[in-house]
Amino acid sequence: MESRILKPILGVYLALFILFLYGPFIVLGILSFQAGPDGGPQFPIIEWSTYWYRHLFGMTEVTRVAPLHLREALFRSLTLAFMTMVTATVLGVISAQAFRRRFRGSGVVFYLIVLGMMVPGVLTGLGISLLSSELGISRSWWGTAFVAHVVYTFPFAFLVMLAIFNRFDPSVEEASWSLGVSPIRTFRKVTLPIVFPGVLSSMLFAFTLSYDEFPRTLFASGSDLTLPRTIYATFAVEIHPNIFAFGVLTTLFSFALLTVFGILLYLSTRRAKKIARQEDI
Amino acid sequence: MTDKSASRAPAKDLAPAPAPAVAASPGRSGEGTAWLLITPGVIWMTLFLVAPILMIVYVSFWTQTTFAINPTPTLDSWRDFFTSSTYLNSLWTTVRIWLIVLAATLLVGYPAALFIGIFVRSRNLSIALLIICVIPFWTSFLIRVLAWRPMLGREGAINILLQKFGITSAPIDVLLFSQLSVIIGMTQIYVVFMVGPIAFMLSRIDRNVLEAARDLGAGFGRIFTRIILPLSLPGVVVGSIFVSVMVLGEFATSAALSGRQVNLLGNIIVTQVGSLKWAFASVVGVVLTVIIGIVIAMLLRVVDLKREL
Repeated sequence: MESRILKPILGVYLALFILFLYGPFIVLGILSFQAGPDGGPQFPIIEWSTYWYRHLFGMTEVTRVAPLHLREALFRSLTLAFMTMVTATVLGVISAQAFRRRFRGSGVVFYLIVLGMMVPGVLTGLGISLLSSELGISRSWWGTAFVAHVVYTFPFAFLVMLAIFNRFDPSVEEASWSLGVSPIRTFRKVTLPIVFPGVLSSMLFAFTLSYDEFPRTLFASGSDLTLPRTIYATFAVEIHPNIFAFGVLTTLFSFALLTVFGILLYLSTRRAKKIARQEDI
Repeated sequence: MTDKSASRAPAKDLAPAPAPAVAASPGRSGEGTAWLLITPGVIWMTLFLVAPILMIVYVSFWTQTTFAINPTPTLDSWRDFFTSSTYLNSLWTTVRIWLIVLAATLLVGYPAALFIGIFVRSRNLSIALLIICVIPFWTSFLIRVLAWRPMLGREGAINILLQKFGITSAPIDVLLFSQLSVIIGMTQIYVVFMVGPIAFMLSRIDRNVLEAARDLGAGFGRIFTRIILPLSLPGVVVGSIFVSVMVLGEFATSAALSGRQVNLLGNIIVTQVGSLKWAFASVVGVVLTVIIGIVIAMLLRVVDLKREL
């Protein structure tokens, strides 16, 4: 049988493919330990050191390599990601809740929402900055960039919630209504706990997409830099291994976030199952 | 999440088929509530997505002076775009890079998806493999782009390895700051968007069909072209839409890896906005929107997604 030969070949191929995905990052991780301040962003490693990590935190003497102003940028990016997460998830949940019943114009509304993730960031960013300058609104990361981020992340939250509601058994809600519990209380006490894993996923999507969002932010955020814009600013000049050290740190931060998410998801799934089981009895 | 769906699926099959459209609705009737719930989202998208895009179209007909724009209607910016060889070249470059990257992500991604979706028997293992492919996305997009510089440069990892194994005697210059580096970088960044949907469609293929074809004497080539490929087509289309939209709107990868050799339409928008040429940037924006619209419409022609998914 040919698949006897094909399977190992494809297996090896997949290993190479994964190497292709990870290769640059491995190289980046190695080079972040380059000697400083004279070591450049290339091989060979002159001497292993944590110089560039200390450089990031301002713990080295002043050299010709300008420090990255990460503290304010990090604060802005985290705040923006948090605001976006809350808004996009709320919009996603209520919109998906609306889609559980068919209503007139639902087809058009569906495409309107999904358009937000399909339109390239350059266009959303350009349009929002044109509109804001026409209306005399000054651009800022917490204003114009924020609405652009929600336009981008709300569709993800919406689609996740739509998928969750598709698998949702409405009879538990009907039971609650028939017992005279108000729709709002039913939503809070019955619906929300069951769909909460989906809400968490929406939040994770919105937070990480916003945290890393670049093209919309470039146009719409005015003069204050967010983290991705700080990184982009280094593109134009000579790069140093400090940007690599920063890449390693943000990745570790993402993994920490992912771990927290995993734990929360596990806990909420368990809770949702418990509630569903109670309803069964 | 995904294995939860697997454990839940049978429960849904046992339950009586839900009738969402006419389900007993609480209190006020369904349609009013639905509209109430959908209104904030619709308002948000209208104000901050539709209006800005219409604004781009509108501004593309404004008059551009050196540092400002005014709303006197004119076709000057449009004429500039279609008579300048620089901009037409950039249009061609964008289309060319898009086609190459689309083909590359498909060629590189399909075999990987085939292994994950068809050849891996255990569902958990295939989910784990997909997660491994997604993990790089947890690094900043810009840093992932930047990471190709020490990979591809004259003294980069690839050149060092090639010379060490005696494959080449001198470092290859063309790897970095060229069209090739942009293509390699984009392929690596976007290939996962191709692998995911294809692997998803492949994993839904009924194994019994493949077994039956095999029992009836079909070789793998025949099974692939007659069963696997047609059934995976919706995944290919979804993946192509993702990749196309992202590649056509790109500018960061070419800014980081091409050393100004590759100017995509996105790069033109960024430079024009940087020099306050708003009207001209808008023209490029409209051109880009039209291209993306045509590409998506063409891809949706290939399969009827609503029926397939």
